[in-house]
Amino acid sequence: MRWPSPAAVRWMMLAALLVLWEVLPKTGALPELLLPPLSKTLAVLFTDRYVYFAALLVTLYEVALSMLIACGLGILTGALVGGFAVLRNLLLPVFSSLYAVPIVILYPIFTAWFGIGSSSKIIFAGIYGFFPVMLSTAAGIRTIDPQFLLAARSMGATLTQQITRVIIPASVPTVFAGLRLGGALAIIGVVVSEMLTASAGIGYLVTLNRTILDSPRVFAGILAIFVLAIAYHMLARAIESRVLVWQAAGRRRKSSSPDTSATVPAPVAA
Amino acid sequence: MQHLANLTERRDRTSGHAIEVAHVSHVYAGADGGVPALHDISLSVEAGRFVVIVGPSGCGKTSLLMMMAGLRGQSQGTILCHGKPILEPDPKRVGVIFQEASLFPWLTTFDNIEFPLSLRGVPRSERRRRSQAMLSLVGLEGFGERYPHELSGGMKQRVSIARGLVQDPPVLLMDEPFAALDEQTRMTMGHELLRIWSTASKTVVFVTHSLTEAVYLADEVLVMSARPGRIVDRIEVTLPRPRTYEMMATDVFGRLRERIWQQIRETV
Repeated sequence: MRWPSPAAVRWMMLAALLVLWEVLPKTGALPELLLPPLSKTLAVLFTDRYVYFAALLVTLYEVALSMLIACGLGILTGALVGGFAVLRNLLLPVFSSLYAVPIVILYPIFTAWFGIGSSSKIIFAGIYGFFPVMLSTAAGIRTIDPQFLLAARSMGATLTQQITRVIIPASVPTVFAGLRLGGALAIIGVVVSEMLTASAGIGYLVTLNRTILDSPRVFAGILAIFVLAIAYHMLARAIESRVLVWQAAGRRRKSSSPDTSATVPAPVAA
Repeated sequence: MQHLANLTERRDRTSGHAIEVAHVSHVYAGADGGVPALHDISLSVEAGRFVVIVGPSGCGKTSLLMMMAGLRGQSQGTILCHGKPILEPDPKRVGVIFQEASLFPWLTTFDNIEFPLSLRGVPRSERRRRSQAMLSLVGLEGFGERYPHELSGGMKQRVSIARGLVQDPPVLLMDEPFAALDEQTRMTMGHELLRIWSTASKTVVFVTHSLTEAVYLADEVLVMSARPGRIVDRIEVTLPRPRTYEMMATDVFGRLRERIWQQIRETV
């Protein structure tokens, strides 16, 4: 028997989980309070679709703005810290240690400062996502092969051209890795802060319904966040492979990969 | 007048001294007064010649080459290229080829070769025409759309040579360009380089630590001593051109190789 491909197995596992989600509570193996059946969850999601849609819009708005803060500030600070040794020595240790701090501890302060509306979530999640973006941008710039810059100089590149034509494209892959992580952290930041103190958003709905033991509505919120996070991940991947065509090119053309001596005409016989 | 100026320039390119190094010394700054790297080096390279610099590792031969390229300054002395001092990199006068092919992985072969042209805003069609010509010169037609990681080591160095030649500089400086290649590819590439050199009529200054490569390629071998680097010998390679692989087995080849080896051994 041939083994199915990993992708097929993954889809089968997902299908199995969904079936179990439906069957386990239905057969009474698990109480519906702990796990409401999939059909019930979807039904609630449908009847309350306006509520959930409005909440999703709030969450998406907060996620979008906090990603903007995380990416914008992160790339800017990372470029400065990566590019200038003085700033690097001064700030990099500080940022690295701050990254290890559970910043969520600051969230109560943010609600006091910025209110329980969207601003506190945006600022908190923005800071949360800022660190990986900033650190990987700095690393991307710092680890550029000095040979690239030497070659560019030998070809007469000015400082500006060295930055735009060499440093930026060379650091793009590392920066992207940071952006992907930073974006994911921004989503986490928004949802967590909505669950803690909020008046709107999917996270808020989940907490609200949990306190009144409305399991289907809790799971509906969870499902919405799952879909959001996975959609984000797939989008980030798609953008990344678009931008980094030069990294994927080899894999695409592997079958026709060249080999020196075979494909290059032999030297003129002497 | 313009026509006359062009004529003079053309004559400059094919006669006289392409590179003149006069009393160049270099000291690396250090805690205890610095490390002397190069000591009073003077040499001149006639236009159109293929000159190879050999020496033990760490003798400063690469530093000397980087100074000729304007990529690094020297503590003392002057370096002239066709009569004018080299103060900064000038790809129109001097093309540089490095040990690592140092192609930009995010650019295709075409875009890599055209990089120095695009820095100067040469129009796209003109760029493509010239990179096409260079690509066929180095024997890589059909690989223009490939990315560097899709090319083998030898092919990358071919692209790197094409990039060094694309602005048609009279002088080509090569810093151990084939050192990272395997033996067979290295021999093939040496042979290819001689072919390109004979069609493109360039002055080449080539740094290597391979004595065989030195004798095989050079009109003239300059031997440097261990640090602080000095020129300790200048050897004319009298082997006829075009060079062939068979020449490596001849007595003349062996004696030349032996003489260089003696020089290097004595100075270490």
